[in-house]
Amino acid sequence: MSLRDTARLETVERWMQAVVMHPDGAESGVRSKPARRLLPQAAASLESVVLPSKSLTSIERIGIYAHMYYARLLEILVAEYPTTQQVLGEKAFERACRQFLERNPSKHRTLNHLSVRFPDFLSRHLPPGNRSKLAVDVARIERALEDVFDAARAEPLTAAEFASISADQWHRVRLRLIPALQLLKLRFPANAYMNAARGGGKPHMPRPRATFAIVYRRGFQVFRRDQAPEQFKLLAALARGQTLAQAVRSSVSGRSGNADRLAATLGAWFREWAAAGIFCGIK
Amino acid sequence: MTQFSLPNRWKLPDLGLGVGLRTQHFRHITERWPAMDWFEILSENFIDTEGRPLYFLDQIAERYPIVMHGVCLSIGSTDPVDFEFLDKLAALAKRVNAVWLGDHICWTGVAGLNGHDLYPVPYTEEGLRHMVSRVRIIQDYLERPLVLENPSTYLTFASSSMPEEEFIARLAVEAKCALLLDVNNVYVTCRNHDLDPVAYLDAMPYEHVVQVHLAGHTDNGTHCIDTHDGRVIDEVWKLYARVHEKTGGRATLLEWDANVPKFSVLQQEVGKAARFRNGAKAERRVAA
Repeated sequence: MSLRDTARLETVERWMQAVVMHPDGAESGVRSKPARRLLPQAAASLESVVLPSKSLTSIERIGIYAHMYYARLLEILVAEYPTTQQVLGEKAFERACRQFLERNPSKHRTLNHLSVRFPDFLSRHLPPGNRSKLAVDVARIERALEDVFDAARAEPLTAAEFASISADQWHRVRLRLIPALQLLKLRFPANAYMNAARGGGKPHMPRPRATFAIVYRRGFQVFRRDQAPEQFKLLAALARGQTLAQAVRSSVSGRSGNADRLAATLGAWFREWAAAGIFCGIK
Repeated sequence: MTQFSLPNRWKLPDLGLGVGLRTQHFRHITERWPAMDWFEILSENFIDTEGRPLYFLDQIAERYPIVMHGVCLSIGSTDPVDFEFLDKLAALAKRVNAVWLGDHICWTGVAGLNGHDLYPVPYTEEGLRHMVSRVRIIQDYLERPLVLENPSTYLTFASSSMPEEEFIARLAVEAKCALLLDVNNVYVTCRNHDLDPVAYLDAMPYEHVVQVHLAGHTDNGTHCIDTHDGRVIDEVWKLYARVHEKTGGRATLLEWDANVPKFSVLQQEVGKAARFRNGAKAERRVAA
């Protein structure tokens, strides 16, 4: 291959990208099959592609970019998933992150989307066991915190707007949930675990137990809160577009007790949700 | 005190002294409205989000001039131009009434991937033709000049046929784009490539320079890394003084992105530039 060919911009860019994104570092990157296919002479003599400086060799120079690629993205994952890291331990977390980045290199211009698939990746690739399952639950909550932080704005329904729904309308209205809300069905009490961990504690590994959480933004603050199973079912039904009557039927139909008590419970739930600002429209 | 003033070819204003807008200071700024001539935002931090950053930016943009500076335009990439991303940039520029917008002379990814770093291109005629063409397309689409920054670089391609400063100067002239001259990057790049920073600065087409960056870096002995994590070193201030002699004054911005200190420290650090700009002995006093 001639120097002229070496200078072809696209080839050089693809080669450099293959080298700096290689999970085992620049030296392995230069020797890798994709890099050798693009610029075979670089594997034989890297100096023919990257010049050394007075202080650094060619491999050290391109190694700066290779090191920064993983360091920068790992830093972002650590910032986004601090409690997941705590559950897995630093080494296992870094190993998982490196594998994730290797298989899911960024395809977006902003970093907001970098780890969208990270919880799913963990669920498929972590070794079996309760610690891994807890880590996946925690990762799902931490991902939801990121998504909700950036989600579209919507004005929450005011108390007056709620009050404007007449008694005979209640059974057929549909309530729209704000975009900055996520409903999470979990296999562990992961939200409570996060409270303890983020409060500075070192919580024990909890026993498996189905829990339900919502993550939402009110104003510009993000919150996460556990929900009773029936509350969660009701919200999930509303999110699917069911009328209020349908949603109530599908969520609390099996509940024993009298109608007044049920009405009081529902009233308390809706007051709590309205205060949280999770509804943004009435249809 | 120099009275000399070389206008830039677009007559873009000298905005004075500014700092990069960082999340750590949102609350301080919107509660105290501190003395600062202007702010520069990292464009990508306000794209694909409708959350808290945009809420604060909207308020800040009502009171201070805003300049948009990006890291992902990937001018040098051989991938197709991403017009959807340009639309997002244009929408943000309209929203904050950006005085200008820009990015870096580099590429950030190819084949649909993004490395989220500023990678150098080989400084060849082919690279130059490619970049000139891309800048023209983007400028035509955005209907405004791009303000492009010299990056800090850590390697030299053997295929490069011209020095970086010549490549940048020719790019600016041939693409008719504006330049953001980062004097810290000039220092870092010249240290890493055993070059003379004064000769680098003297090769710049100053009628194209509309903005200057100042920042701190990490000196590892064998090489420097552009870390934006500390004060501006004396050698970089000397380079800044030289740029000021060449231009008579350009919008000047301090970048501080890691180990971000209190806002008052940024005010104090960027205020040091006043002594070069005003010829005054005293640094500008800025209220905290």
